[in-house]
Amino acid sequence: MSEPVVRARVIVGGVGYPDLCDYSIGIEVQERLAEWQAPPYVTVEDLSYNPIALVQRLEDETLDARYRRIVVISAVRRGDRPPGTIASYRWDGVLPAEEVIQDAVTDAVTGIIALENTLVITHYFRALPPEAVVVEVEPAAHEFGAALSDPVRSVFDTVCELVKTLATDDEAFARLPVQALTFANAPGMRIL
Amino acid sequence: MCFKNLPIEFDAQGKPFLREGVRNPYGADAAQPTGGARQMTAERVAELVRRNGHDGSVVKSLDFDPVTRVAGALAFHTVADFKNRRIVEARSVATLFRGYEVIMVGRDPRDAIYITSRACGVCGGVHSTCSALAIEMAIGCAPPPLGVLIRNLALALEFLYDHPLHLHLLAGPDYSAAIVEPTNPSLFARAKTTEARHTAIHGFRTIADLMTDLNPLTGKLYLEALHMTRVAREAYVLICGKYPHPQTIVPGGMSSTINLTVMNEMFVRLSQFFDYSKKIALIWDDITEFFYEANPEYKKVGARRANMVDTGIFDDPGAYDATYHNADEWGNRRWATPGAIVEGKLVTTDLRAINIGLEEFVDHSYYAEWTGDGQQQHFATDPSGSPLSPYHPWNKVTRPRPQGQNWKEKYTWDTTPRWDRNGMEAGCYARLWSSAVAQKLPDNPYIESTGHSLKMRVPAGALPETELEWHVPTEWNAFERNRGRAFCMAFTTLIAFNNWLAAMEILKDGDTRTSTKFKMPTRGEQRGVGFWGAGRGYLTHHLTLDRGAVSNYQIVTPSTWNASPTDRWGQPGPYEEAVLNTPLLEETDDPAKFRGLDVLRAIRSFDPCMPCTTHIQSEGGLITREVNTCACGLDE
Repeated sequence: MSEPVVRARVIVGGVGYPDLCDYSIGIEVQERLAEWQAPPYVTVEDLSYNPIALVQRLEDETLDARYRRIVVISAVRRGDRPPGTIASYRWDGVLPAEEVIQDAVTDAVTGIIALENTLVITHYFRALPPEAVVVEVEPAAHEFGAALSDPVRSVFDTVCELVKTLATDDEAFARLPVQALTFANAPGMRIL
Repeated sequence: MCFKNLPIEFDAQGKPFLREGVRNPYGADAAQPTGGARQMTAERVAELVRRNGHDGSVVKSLDFDPVTRVAGALAFHTVADFKNRRIVEARSVATLFRGYEVIMVGRDPRDAIYITSRACGVCGGVHSTCSALAIEMAIGCAPPPLGVLIRNLALALEFLYDHPLHLHLLAGPDYSAAIVEPTNPSLFARAKTTEARHTAIHGFRTIADLMTDLNPLTGKLYLEALHMTRVAREAYVLICGKYPHPQTIVPGGMSSTINLTVMNEMFVRLSQFFDYSKKIALIWDDITEFFYEANPEYKKVGARRANMVDTGIFDDPGAYDATYHNADEWGNRRWATPGAIVEGKLVTTDLRAINIGLEEFVDHSYYAEWTGDGQQQHFATDPSGSPLSPYHPWNKVTRPRPQGQNWKEKYTWDTTPRWDRNGMEAGCYARLWSSAVAQKLPDNPYIESTGHSLKMRVPAGALPETELEWHVPTEWNAFERNRGRAFCMAFTTLIAFNNWLAAMEILKDGDTRTSTKFKMPTRGEQRGVGFWGAGRGYLTHHLTLDRGAVSNYQIVTPSTWNASPTDRWGQPGPYEEAVLNTPLLEETDDPAKFRGLDVLRAIRSFDPCMPCTTHIQSEGGLITREVNTCACGLDE
């Protein structure tokens, strides 16, 4: 009998706040994926909490069982693409200046949850899995409420399937472009 | 007789009344505060700049926008006189309308527990609790003993998250090698040869060693603080379900299930703060004394009159009955004594006096007045029949009026709370001060109030049992705020330990009740106030119910006090006053190289908790960063 193939572990989750319409897409996808009969090496989990706490959560895994890949879903408003646009990429892992990281930690410990500070802080403290995948969705509606806008709702199932694929298909992962975080256009930043 | 400015006197039974013969007793002219700093008028500042700032190098604006390493966002405008190394104008700017009070109107009051928690991304639990207390008073419902004790424990644990966070992640870097060495090289050179006094407890041989481990991101103290926030958070979620927004706080107590397993798991974490709190207190003792000895001018950094207000916190289950009428009695049985401190003197510990002395003004805030124009004052008295100002939160009407920024007119979304018309500051050190002076603490083996200090016997961990003593300071400044906050770690840890022990006794007796059933009223008008405290000090929620729904809801947070703008009498708010008194001690004569470090030390020593939206005016337009939590500093 051949030895079973041991797959590296993958963690999947959304980053954002609940009840902010399209800006909650990450959480909505994660909740849908909780119903997925995921392979045993895939963990679907809430990643929308204090990034420092997420560092500590990821560090809790024993060295031989740490996650190899993380797939993060979040609304990212870039403004130069139609609402509902999906973009996925591997983060290049390039960190900003230390002053920016300090500010990110300040934000994190005082309650701010955002894609960029989650990635930057977990990476700075060496807790981020080596393969970091971002799935962005361009939002339309930014207000209190549970409903997704029509353009985002129409791609919801597609996003869920994409995330499943990126969590389980190494070839699909390998095809992803490598991209930097664009802080000026990070969630919540806008120029009026 | 605790009021010097408001025309309120007390009869032989101690009942307050308005002095007779005073026309319009709450008018601006009838009760004018005297003494203390005054903000220079905008015209005088402009004239000073015109005469001395023609080359842009002697007197000029120095703006901090945003002030970094604070919770949320704060902008600060100053005009600095570099020749005389002083600040001539200071304006504290809170930049966003918060809206919680508006959101609350018309709702079931129980919603406030969950909605107002979102006012802060650090200390949601204090808002939930303060809401619960306000509701309890309005509907007449008090928790069973274990409910009170567990609530105390929950909030103590929240503060054990908050204090290290501020001391070593937010304020600490201002005293680190990475910042002190380039700004004050001779001071850092002295630190290298200065032996620390408390090496045996904290392990640092020299002050420079200590400063090196305060370095942001890499220093051991910075990283240790991140770890300790986890320990506190883990203990907190055992009883609150989640952090920072608890799910188990209800009117009448807590909905948590408490058993020996929960208590033991909590103790495993709480006990880690025994050694940590010894270390933190003595680290900040050493830092403070080093700066004072190196240059006594540091005593002026962030200095202001010792005017403070605190509601006290952590109830005695044998005293708390949720009534306004008995608030003096149960307030004085708290583990942290309420108090109004004016010019360094504790003038009252009566929660009702603290309440009736409270007024909120909007002269320099983006709100419209709600008094005058035939507006009927809703409540002329408090529930005990004592006089209330038309500017009291129970009478306040929220009327936001956004407009352009003008130092002479309106410049902030924060309001101007005053007590007896004095600019008061809030902080955990205010509760330390009141508790030290009042000598009203419950009998216990660990904390002793001496009338001039607090003695704290911290049990052994890996370190031996240690007695810490916090002395009421003779001067009040940025260093004393930080030192006070550091000693508050031990104070809070010991209060938590006392409450843990008391809870164990109740569990041993088989009483596991943590909440009391209640019915919401559906008729008539009721009101209540939550007197509680945040990690940063004073917190009140004033609530009015009309036929079971919220008809008015007003929150006054610590940063509402501290970040408040200049008032109608020209008295600067606490941040402003502290900055106006701050000398510029960086070792440079070149304004271009000036970092404003001492101004930032002054501001950060208050542990600002501001609205989480910053608006930054730049040449390219208005850049707005929107986030969705922590709006402690704003009023609405």
